[in-house]
Amino acid sequence: MSARPATPASPKNFKVKAPQPGQPLYGCEHLQRLFNQDQATTNTSIQHYKAALRIILDTTPLIPQTAKSIEGAISTSLTPTYLCLQCPWTLTEDDRAKHGNKKSHRFYVESRSGALYCQMCDDIVWDPTFEDLRLRKIGTGTFSTSGFPQAYHSNTAKFDRKRKHDELFAQDPAKDSPQFISTNTTVASCKANGLRGIYNAGATCYQNVVLQSFLHNPVLRNFYLSDGHQSNTCEMQHCLSCAMDDMFQDFYALENTNGYTAANILSGFWISDKKAFENLVTTKEQDAHEFFQFLAEELHERNGDGKKPESGSEHSCNCIIHQTFYGKLQSTTTCQSCGGVTNQVQSFLDLSLPLENLTQKKGKKHGGKIPAMTLQECLDEEYIKSDKCEYRCNACNTMQQARRQTSIKCLPNVLSIQLKRFEFKQGRNERAAKIDTPVHFPLQLNMLPYTNRAQVKDNSELARSATYDLLSVVVHVGEIDTGHYVSYCRVGDQWFAFNDHKVELAQKSEVLGARAYLLFYIVRSLA
Amino acid sequence: MSSERSETGKAGVIVAPEDASAMDTLAHSVLDDLLYNIVHDLLIKVHRDEKMARAATAAIKVEKLANEASDLSTPDAKPDVRMETDAAIYEDGKVLLKGNPLKLTKEILCPRCRLPRLLYPTDGKGARKPDPGIAYCKKHPYIEKPGYDIYGQTWVAPGPGRGKKKKDVANDSNSLATGVEGGAKDRPPNVLSFPSATCSKCKRCILVTRLNNHMGSCIGNSGRNASRAAAQKICNGGSNGGSQNNDNTPPGSQKGTPLPGSRAASPRKRDMDEFDEDAEESDPTNPKKKKVKPNALPRKVILKTKPPVKKEKVKGNSMLNVEQKVDDEDGNNNGGKNSTVQVAPKKSTPAKGPSPTKKVKLGQNKLPPPSSTKKGAKRDRDMESESSGTLSSPPQ
Ligand SMILES: [Zn+2]
Ligand SMILES: [Zn+2]
Ligand SMILES: [Zn+2]
Ligand SMILES: [Zn+2]
Repeated sequence: MSARPATPASPKNFKVKAPQPGQPLYGCEHLQRLFNQDQATTNTSIQHYKAALRIILDTTPLIPQTAKSIEGAISTSLTPTYLCLQCPWTLTEDDRAKHGNKKSHRFYVESRSGALYCQMCDDIVWDPTFEDLRLRKIGTGTFSTSGFPQAYHSNTAKFDRKRKHDELFAQDPAKDSPQFISTNTTVASCKANGLRGIYNAGATCYQNVVLQSFLHNPVLRNFYLSDGHQSNTCEMQHCLSCAMDDMFQDFYALENTNGYTAANILSGFWISDKKAFENLVTTKEQDAHEFFQFLAEELHERNGDGKKPESGSEHSCNCIIHQTFYGKLQSTTTCQSCGGVTNQVQSFLDLSLPLENLTQKKGKKHGGKIPAMTLQECLDEEYIKSDKCEYRCNACNTMQQARRQTSIKCLPNVLSIQLKRFEFKQGRNERAAKIDTPVHFPLQLNMLPYTNRAQVKDNSELARSATYDLLSVVVHVGEIDTGHYVSYCRVGDQWFAFNDHKVELAQKSEVLGARAYLLFYIVRSLA
Repeated sequence: MSSERSETGKAGVIVAPEDASAMDTLAHSVLDDLLYNIVHDLLIKVHRDEKMARAATAAIKVEKLANEASDLSTPDAKPDVRMETDAAIYEDGKVLLKGNPLKLTKEILCPRCRLPRLLYPTDGKGARKPDPGIAYCKKHPYIEKPGYDIYGQTWVAPGPGRGKKKKDVANDSNSLATGVEGGAKDRPPNVLSFPSATCSKCKRCILVTRLNNHMGSCIGNSGRNASRAAAQKICNGGSNGGSQNNDNTPPGSQKGTPLPGSRAASPRKRDMDEFDEDAEESDPTNPKKKKVKPNALPRKVILKTKPPVKKEKVKGNSMLNVEQKVDDEDGNNNGGKNSTVQVAPKKSTPAKGPSPTKKVKLGQNKLPPPSSTKKGAKRDRDMESESSGTLSSPPQ
């Protein structure tokens, strides 16, 4: 076994994961033997597995990808290598068997995923104990179940990341979990999976797409399914959060597969006295983005500190909406005359990206023909480049030319982005025009360049906390006046297309080819 | 790259031409390696899902045997027997694998209901006929078939003049073509029709496709934006609150984003169509701003029958009062525990029972007594014919 015995002084004795009903205790017979040798072997095996995962996930890929043959020849490859679990040797796939035969080391950690390979099975094995460690490390950057990793998200989001992560990324929360089964074997239906359409109640597809994106948002789903807001004890009349609670129940607890009638949402919406959204209350097709803002404000007020979430101020609230969507922007204004710097911090619910200027710029460059843009280009415009402005400098005490640069100070757990496709032309009959330029958006989005720590290099923790995965896409199809909203949401790895009451499977290519209007990204680490 | 496969990368698919320069060859081999990695990563993912599902199946099967052998009445207790199958051993409450579950276990049992999972969709792309003799887990593979949704359902086309927008028709042309016209009796079971819902204010039963217009006039006029409602009345000369006059709404977009569709030049057909019937229901003289929810309690109880006991458990993780424990890890941790547990009773209660109750209630009890006008009568008739299909739940 390993040269490094567990220090006897250390009280830390690792245990294998407790037996769960419906799950084998070990990944294979050979791991069973390994774990049943003695405590020291168990300790070193787990310590070594953690060390391997750290090498794979926290260091530059050069280290795990560099293998040493039996003869000592060193080679670096792009393709997977194998880190021996029992000694600090990294091997290519071809050398793995030789090393195993020579040293009787039978377990290896695959360098791309951290999965464990058993030489006697000649297969990857998924051991409950090791797999727990791997998922936790990938998801949160640490192995601990209680500690907070150094992270960088808004302080309103300080909930237990480990736990949240484990829950959020399980495809069916609670459903496939053995703990759940043991207590509730007979009751919950396997059919209730949250996938239902919502009937169009008469030009309400702009609401349906936002509701679907909320329904498939793991943070919100967990909040409501864990009785975050209980409609049976809430005393508020026509409470929209109660209506959401009921909707989550219907989606995740009932077997129904037909469309859902969002009557309570609709009446709550009509009854709401949000003056700011007065113009939303019409029976005509409206803007999904405004409905998103409306719903977020309503739910904040029903669940939050009761204060209005003014977008301009640095509002800190711990309600579910703030925990989910809110981040902070910092704008730095530098006076061109005296060099004085003013910082201003603002909360944001979403990032609104104008397309018009960039479209024109690109159009000019390409002789009128407008090429496709990327989401990152739009973000560059807003959160990397600075612009000129006039402001009243306190030091100079006069109006001065200044440079203003805005970057993200705190990233939210769920990042919502609006691509401003609706261009409002003043004058000419106040007609609005739609910008139909394709904007390519990625499945995985790195937000680090747009934060105020973009310059920090080689910090895997920071990089992890700024990595986002696409969660849902709202699309406006057709003309500005007669358009229709559809959306795509991801459940686990599977994408679904929602068109009012219709739910269909969707290919990634279809999702990525959509002319997105709203995008929702969820942070990978859920830090 | 090792010398024996110097021609290209590990996949061996992307090969540089013979006369390629060294740089060219390198580029090809890098690309080839990347291709290998993509396939490798995909494979690891699929392998994980499949192997873990099979291993769980092996465990479930042997546990089942052990339970049967010990004949315990309490299912949670760990039977004190030793059981062995081809794929696993049950001993001391633990399950130990024998060999590779990918080789030894062929089916997949649902970890929840412990019934076999259907592995192929029952219709559409890749469909296979399920064995009629087997009771499968209710979680089925999703159906991929043009004109049908993931459950193989399709919808009755809404009647003329009251439903779909034009582009919807284009979108849904498939389902329209397949949707059978006519009464509910003629419809195959996977063809649903549009249900009705109750207006929270007047308690009338409204076809879902007209709900927004109805609420707009029923709630909207007495609700928050009385001024706008007034403007509407002036515009429309009556209770016909709704469509074109909305063009008068100020372009109140907060961020300067115009509303798509809010400045429509011409009224849309369906708005007109829908209004003739629903407008009458509004009662513009009703001055109440917020109606009490009279049937809120009974509805909740029926829907969820959540035991009030939960309250104390829940408050631990309620986000409503997070303030006091923003930095309190333990509190949040407990919350976490709670929350996983909490899901259970809630999910469980409504399952099958309450849902039909709710629907039935909508359909039968809600025929509103107040309205005896001609229009009202007409609507009721309408409603009956249109919502007849809604009481039927989709095929199971
Ligand atoms: Zn093995
Ligand atoms: Zn409430
Ligand atoms: Zn100055
Ligand atoms: Zn099942």
